[in-house]
Amino acid sequence: MTKPTVVLVGADKGGVGKTTVARTLIDYFNARQTPIRAFDTESPRGTLKRFHPDVTEVVDVTAVPDQMKIFDTLGTTPAAVTVIDIRAGLLSPTLQALSDIGFLDAAKKNQLTFAVFHILGPSIASLQEIAETAKFVGDASYFLVKNHINDTSFFEWNPATYDSYFHQIQNAEEITIPKLNEMACEQVEISSVPYVTFVANRDAKGDPANNSFVLRGYVRHWLGNVWAEYDRVKLADLVAPKMESHVRQVG
Amino acid sequence: MPFRHSVNIVASPRPRVGKTLIARLLTDFHAHEGRNVVAFDLNAGEGTLAQFLPQYTKVADLSDINGQMALFDRLVADDGVTKVVDLGNEAFEQFVAVAGRIGFAEEARKRGIAPAMLFVIAPDRTSVEAYRGLRSRLPLVTLLPLHNELLGHAQHRDKYPMRGTEAAMVHVPALALGLRRYIDQAPFSFSRARLAAATDIPLDVHLELQRWLRKAYLEFRELELRLMLADLQSSIRLR
Repeated sequence: MTKPTVVLVGADKGGVGKTTVARTLIDYFNARQTPIRAFDTESPRGTLKRFHPDVTEVVDVTAVPDQMKIFDTLGTTPAAVTVIDIRAGLLSPTLQALSDIGFLDAAKKNQLTFAVFHILGPSIASLQEIAETAKFVGDASYFLVKNHINDTSFFEWNPATYDSYFHQIQNAEEITIPKLNEMACEQVEISSVPYVTFVANRDAKGDPANNSFVLRGYVRHWLGNVWAEYDRVKLADLVAPKMESHVRQVG
Repeated sequence: MPFRHSVNIVASPRPRVGKTLIARLLTDFHAHEGRNVVAFDLNAGEGTLAQFLPQYTKVADLSDINGQMALFDRLVADDGVTKVVDLGNEAFEQFVAVAGRIGFAEEARKRGIAPAMLFVIAPDRTSVEAYRGLRSRLPLVTLLPLHNELLGHAQHRDKYPMRGTEAAMVHVPALALGLRRYIDQAPFSFSRARLAAATDIPLDVHLELQRWLRKAYLEFRELELRLMLADLQSSIRLR
């Protein structure tokens, strides 16, 4: 049995594409045949659950019973990776709670692998977030995700502001999610299927769908680039067993 | 996967090398061979394929995603229809970029469609470099240099290296001087019915046109055989 891995995907602001990132992560691990489960904290609606109903459970991360559901099962679940999509505004409180229950200590002692995907928004508030989050993260793998799917410049016009926040944390890695054509993006939303399923031209039941080849091509190209970013930061090595995969094969 | 039908892309990054005339010939050739054929016109301005062969041609536009869907979704459609693309110089870059990004050739091959690009050769650097770039940008598109003999003797053919069994220069014979004006009045089809009914064409011109068409069609037939043979060989090798 490998060490369990917990991946938090969060931001303090809504609409920065947390769920998009969580979906690409689930697709990424699925393609590598890494057993995975996910928790969606957008209780009670659950955006993530709409796309990945088989592996996703909707929870309220601030409630103790649901915390037990997530963290007490880490040792027994067959899933090697647990992805938690943290609702807007709950990243810091969640990290606080994790610190209180001793989860962060367990991560420090190497009993489990802990990674945080911090999705950045376009405001200064979102950058200040980094400082706040960083104090909890410690030894965890901390990924700052610049999500260009909704076209943000991330203060690149002002290097001083940018550097003051981005280089605060040592070992923080930057991940860039490239832009996906709006129409392709919307079409996947309408289909309510994982990106990989859309690329393979299937519907939620696994039957052949009738999606535009051009849109599928754009999604495949984009997903390939996103996964290349995950490969670059050696995300798979974090989780352990090495396996070859390629986005073209699933297509 | 058996070879079903082909997509012929007539291309050049240069204007005025005879792309549209070749696309007209190819479209009429496929129709003459009894195939269903659709042509896509990626040109702006006068004397376009859509004006010459309106019954076969759809005007395509790559500037937005709706246009890209209308073109590429149709090109990879498994509908048994042979496609001809008249790729104008202005759309060349965009076409290659989009086709590469969405994996057009891979998808086409997967569906038993053979995409071939007939690249009109010219001595200028833009053409030579675009041709060289296509190898890596669209590796699964069969790249065939095409010599339009109207442009004179091709002394620059060594700048256009070829690869694979299907590789051979395609020649489009030059039309005798003074005959251009009979065929440059849009709309115009080279179909037998159209030529037979052409009262405005003198008999000697008519005969010369027929001779020219036969030569061009012979080239296209040989081209098809080479593509089929290459496809057959690669499927044998795969097994």
